[in-house]
Amino acid sequence: MTVQNKRTTDRIDKVTTLSGIPVQPCYGPADVDQDRYEQDLGDPGQFPFTRGIFPGMYRNRLWLKSQIACYCRPEETNRAFKKFIANGQTGIRILADTTTHSSVDPDHPLGRYSLASNGNPTFAITEYREMLADIPLEEFDVEIACALAGGSFWSYLFVVALMEERGQDISQLRGTNINDPIHAAIVYDCPEFTDNQWELARKLNLDLIEFSARHTPKWFPCTPCGYDMRDSGLDAFQELAFCLGNAIQYYGDAIRERGMRLDDFKPMVFSQSIESDFFEAVAKFRALRRMWARIAKERLGSTDPRSMACRIGARISGNTIGYTEKPINHTSRVTMQCLAAVMGGAQSIDSAAIDEAFGLPSEEARIFGLDTQHIIAHESGVPLVADPLGGSYYVESLTNEIEAGTLKLLDEIDSIGGMWECLKTGWLLQQFNTTAMKLQTEIDEGRRLIVGVNAYRGPDGPISKTIRESAYCVPPVEVRREAIDRVQKLRETRDQGKTVEALTEMFHAEKGGENVVREGIDACKAYATVGELVGVLRMAHGFPYDHYLTIPTPDYLRHLEKQSA
Amino acid sequence: MPSRPKKIRVVIGKVGLDPHDRGVLVLTRILRDAGMEVIYLGRAGTAESVVRAAIDEDVDVIALSDHCGVMVQIAADVIEETRKQGAEDIAIVAGGFIEEKDIPVLEDMGVTGNFTSGTPFQDIVDHVRKVAAKD
Repeated sequence: MTVQNKRTTDRIDKVTTLSGIPVQPCYGPADVDQDRYEQDLGDPGQFPFTRGIFPGMYRNRLWLKSQIACYCRPEETNRAFKKFIANGQTGIRILADTTTHSSVDPDHPLGRYSLASNGNPTFAITEYREMLADIPLEEFDVEIACALAGGSFWSYLFVVALMEERGQDISQLRGTNINDPIHAAIVYDCPEFTDNQWELARKLNLDLIEFSARHTPKWFPCTPCGYDMRDSGLDAFQELAFCLGNAIQYYGDAIRERGMRLDDFKPMVFSQSIESDFFEAVAKFRALRRMWARIAKERLGSTDPRSMACRIGARISGNTIGYTEKPINHTSRVTMQCLAAVMGGAQSIDSAAIDEAFGLPSEEARIFGLDTQHIIAHESGVPLVADPLGGSYYVESLTNEIEAGTLKLLDEIDSIGGMWECLKTGWLLQQFNTTAMKLQTEIDEGRRLIVGVNAYRGPDGPISKTIRESAYCVPPVEVRREAIDRVQKLRETRDQGKTVEALTEMFHAEKGGENVVREGIDACKAYATVGELVGVLRMAHGFPYDHYLTIPTPDYLRHLEKQSA
Repeated sequence: MPSRPKKIRVVIGKVGLDPHDRGVLVLTRILRDAGMEVIYLGRAGTAESVVRAAIDEDVDVIALSDHCGVMVQIAADVIEETRKQGAEDIAIVAGGFIEEKDIPVLEDMGVTGNFTSGTPFQDIVDHVRKVAAKD
């Protein structure tokens, strides 16, 4: 049979970026304002930090290589962390399984399906002890990947409690917490704190920011998460605007309501998705730095350049490494996106995993992700120069375009009254609903080509088959049910009096409107579980104990409620 | 007078605590745009509540979504409930994060579709039409 030349179909039809910015065939001096170097760019390390937040950038400090390692059991997760550290991972990123992450204990009736899925059930300090055994927390950046409102809150309590239990100085704790309840509400819905217009979510967000600034000053207590929102189908403008809008909301509230200054906090960290459009990703990171610098200075009253320089935590877009034919191609996608993050000046990269569409990433896929970063760091020569694309007519023009589009959205957010209002009025949901289908429709209609999805399709060869089969699958039900025995055993063996006493303290603090973080940490040390911590906080506001309205209120709480009524 | 053809009715359910519901929100719109009546029951359902809603709403199809890799466990419970509640005639389709090894297991159980991420919208619409037409 005669072969057919694909020359006629192998051409570029799409002339916009991923977020729909029209692109010219060529850019030149007329596309950028060359007289505004100082105002709009500045050297790396100088306001407005468009070109990077440090003068020497990666020569002084390479980016943090941080990945989630959370398998079914705490000891399994601990072993994986140690293996990745031996392979050059420099951050520890922890995530709970979906049941615990939903702020219920493993034996909650609704929790049985998601038990030990997506992570290990870290329902109490006992599990953190095992998961983080032999890992000196003060030597690593600890990143809490629990994104839900409840999970962001109690993960911090447990990590601090563990440090105190080990006799370490919590002021040395370094790392990040997402603590972005608005993004959590919109992406995941989090019934644990939604009652009464997210009143509790809003309060706990500020409690964490305030406590952390005072007691764990090296910790980033609230890092608005663009990543999850972007992966839910937003474009680059929305990702930036909602991230910045959330930062303005949370830190603005902390300044107004807790009497703090922006300069009291560690510099801002934004979590960002990298995505497949190389130059748009680079331009997005540059625009984000410039916009935050101006917001911090002009809007939130910062006088310290360090607070104006935001850090960027970047992750490969999960959408781009999905369940496709020929997953070997994901190696190219991971590599390209890691490179874009480095060119864009990111401070932390999670290289995702080439097999993550088929299960939890295998250890080898994780190590491949680390090695990709090592290759970029040490073989490619790319990190030798800060902002290597700075001055490119195209990249500068794209940076300006992204900034302009984002500013327009930020104005709209302001006119509604901030991000909490955008959530409450349904405006935010509407934004998601209108863009979520756009990209998929473009792919379905063949207007955007994705290799192995709607173009260049073909069967898996042995390498792709192996990738597909190597992912870590959800273990059998018997193994997953071990967590139920563990939580029940904990409740039987702990000093119940002490647990109840600590939870009672927390109840009164919350009811009195105080910052409840200290009481929460003490309750963790007294073996309170996730379900109990969240239930007690809810009861203090008069909400039902169980946010899924399934399990009854424990007796001590009924009693407490009556007493304090 | 010819009666207007009955619209296909679909209930979309998420059993358990999987929080990922962007996919089903998009699916709800796609099926509606394709002319179907769609009822999305929200997160944190039980097998019992999904089947009860399917009966109350007199649907042709139950669509299950999960991203925890446990669709076999969920589907088994839902099928058990359809037996208990006498609703074995309702077709069950599934989608979300489904491990490859689970797809033939689900097919054997009578759960079809088993769509993973990135499936073209039209494939899902066509499949739902096909299974709904079987009654």
